[in-house]
Amino acid sequence: MNDIILSTKNITKRYPGVTALDSVSVYFYRGEVHALLGENGAGKSTLIKIISGAVQPDGGTIEVDGKSFAKLDPLHSKKNGIEVIYQEFNLVDSLSVAENICLGERNGLLVDRKWMVKRCKEVFAKMGVDIDPETLVRELPTSRQQLVEIAKAVSKNAKILIMDEPSAPLSVSEVDKLFEIIRTLKKNGVTIVYISHRMDEIFEISDRVTVMRDGCYIDTLVTKNTERKELVQLMVGREISDSYPLKQCEIKEVVLEIKHITGNGVQDVSFNLHRGEILGLAGLIGAGRTELARMIYGADKFESGDIIVNGKSVKIHLPSDAIKYGIGLIPEDRKQQGVFLEKPIAWNATIANIKNIAKGLIVDRKKEKLQAEHYISLFSIKTPSIQQLVRNLSGGNQQKVVLAKTLATNSDILIFDEPTRGIDVGAKQEIYELMVRLSNEGKAILMITSDMAELLGMSDRIIVLAGGKLSGELRKEEFSQVRVLELASNVKQEIMK
Amino acid sequence: MKSETLRRIVPLLKKYVIFFVLIGLMLLFSILTPYFFTVQNITNIFVQQSYVIIAAVGLSFVMIGGGMDLSIGWQISLVGVVTATLMKNVGIPVLAAVLIGCLLGTLLGLFNGFMATTLKVHPLIVTLGTMTAFQGMSYIAANQSVILNLPASFKFLGQGHVFGFIPVGVILMIIVVSIASFILNKTYFGRYIYAIGSNDEAAHLAGIDVKKTKLMVFALCGLFVSLASMVLFARTGSAAPSTGPGTEFTCMTAAVLGGVSFKGGEGKMWGVVTGVLILGILSNGMQLVGMGTYAQYIVRGGVLLAAVGFDTYQKSSATKVKKMG
Repeated sequence: MNDIILSTKNITKRYPGVTALDSVSVYFYRGEVHALLGENGAGKSTLIKIISGAVQPDGGTIEVDGKSFAKLDPLHSKKNGIEVIYQEFNLVDSLSVAENICLGERNGLLVDRKWMVKRCKEVFAKMGVDIDPETLVRELPTSRQQLVEIAKAVSKNAKILIMDEPSAPLSVSEVDKLFEIIRTLKKNGVTIVYISHRMDEIFEISDRVTVMRDGCYIDTLVTKNTERKELVQLMVGREISDSYPLKQCEIKEVVLEIKHITGNGVQDVSFNLHRGEILGLAGLIGAGRTELARMIYGADKFESGDIIVNGKSVKIHLPSDAIKYGIGLIPEDRKQQGVFLEKPIAWNATIANIKNIAKGLIVDRKKEKLQAEHYISLFSIKTPSIQQLVRNLSGGNQQKVVLAKTLATNSDILIFDEPTRGIDVGAKQEIYELMVRLSNEGKAILMITSDMAELLGMSDRIIVLAGGKLSGELRKEEFSQVRVLELASNVKQEIMK
Repeated sequence: MKSETLRRIVPLLKKYVIFFVLIGLMLLFSILTPYFFTVQNITNIFVQQSYVIIAAVGLSFVMIGGGMDLSIGWQISLVGVVTATLMKNVGIPVLAAVLIGCLLGTLLGLFNGFMATTLKVHPLIVTLGTMTAFQGMSYIAANQSVILNLPASFKFLGQGHVFGFIPVGVILMIIVVSIASFILNKTYFGRYIYAIGSNDEAAHLAGIDVKKTKLMVFALCGLFVSLASMVLFARTGSAAPSTGPGTEFTCMTAAVLGGVSFKGGEGKMWGVVTGVLILGILSNGMQLVGMGTYAQYIVRGGVLLAAVGFDTYQKSSATKVKKMG
């Protein structure tokens, strides 16, 4: 097993003002699962882009299967058996699974559907996946689309498969499936470069793990001889407490009552949320968590049910109604729903309450500036100026901008939908501290999360959805991963019976 | 020191490149023909282009808000023909007719917005439909003929001068541009327009009433277009249903030239004005140089492609890596 299929030697990449990669040398064995770990900005993505040919290095060499290159372009990278699965899928929605997998290939002059389906089935058999090759991609749930994406890479006979945060859109059971596939691929001699922020996954799946920090190679360790704490320390370069921030606030009166909400696949869900409480909302993908949150916030309409804020029944038809009653939403998809990427920080941070900082019709630029600066310092948003475009911020800082925007509307009830998805460890910790601080200040927080550690660590109480229905509630003393998973898969089993 | 100043100047040059193109064109035509840079000719260009600028401002609102309005050309015709009929054939006072015309324009815009938001179809498709409908209405309202000899007090809007030398149409244009610029830059409503254009889902979740904002944007566009119609028909002194169409494409070209994004969320009023003036100066200058109409079309098309190409190039080089410095 110890032959090296891919290595980089002294790879350096400079951008104006930053050295993204500083003489990075790392090697990958044939048939290993090699995790790449580091905070955002550590240089993981740049390294991958250099290997895949999307970016050209300023110095150093790349060796693939004994051949040495000063730089690669995407075509040559693919030719040498390197395939990358990015977080954003590269699938054509309107085509079938088979057509997507065979995209760019042909058998004879004409489109040969039978051949495509056959080829597709071969690949799926190799992976142990069961998807109908003739389904349209857009009819598949995200998790299955990802399998198609992997199958596409496998069908190109990839020798090196790079996966960038592949588990982000997946639920726990789907991640297990992903790991099975990775193990199968590994057996077939494929090298997997696995990037993830989820430490548990790295320990479960990887053989070796390379840690990067600030554009530098730090170390490569054999995973099974390594401890979690050690990795985190290498990553951040300082001691970091793995624990969640401690809450100092007692849970007070009920501020939000949800009664028999039905609609968008959610059926008759009722629960209460208290002041000073962080209520975890758990469930598998498709259980209706986001749908429920969006209905409470007025982003989507619901069929029946009541929302009671501070004892009063309220009518919420639009997000502006929810904001009026002090409900705020930090949406699931930061870039598509949370921020305006092409607009400055100040613009983003004030858009939700811009009406309130206007004199009549006219926006008060001074107040706008003050508000933006207030949140930048309150949340320690790292930026050279309030006029910086949000596009240029890291994921964690973008999330803080979303939070600033939401809090500016004076929300007392905050719904966080996957608050730390795709955010690096250091920034995650900061978001947690912010959430605890807000709850200490008496805000009520409803937190949707697919990250089990986060769910168990942050919540005061957990409610679980399964198949659109409330399947259970857990008090702090009853918290356990097993219980959550049981409740989350509960209804599904009932249906199958 | 030198590189420092360069670093500051280069982005500015890029940002205002369209403005320098305008200056360059003016210099070019001044060299090519003695008839170009005269008070008479420059005034002429402004008078001729003022209605286009007003309409382009209206269209830009819709485009910045992420929409499109193909019907503005026939809106101009319909509003003009109805206003002219009211004052000429029905005998309603000029001022009242003009006000009714403006109201009609606003309603036409509102209708476009209503269809786009309730049908949830892209405004491009909606206005493709209403454009044809407005065409039919224009011919019916005009009774298939041209309404000639409009009242003098109406013609004042397009032919009159204030203080004896400033054309009324140009003054109206300046007022409209100032108001539009004020709305977009200073008011929260302006922010809403940019917000729904750059990311309507995020705008929805930020508590902005996206539907209402879209309706208002289309209504404003209709209002501006009706003003453009007044200025145009007051200048020509007669109202023919076939006068308006074509304006939509000129305005669209000018807007894109001036930096209004086709995808929405971006655009400045000075850019739109510069865009219209570039097109106006091109056709005026080429005419004076003696190029035929058909050759002019080719140049205009080329200018648009060049502008869009430059814009795309600039954006992609900005997002990739700034290799200078």
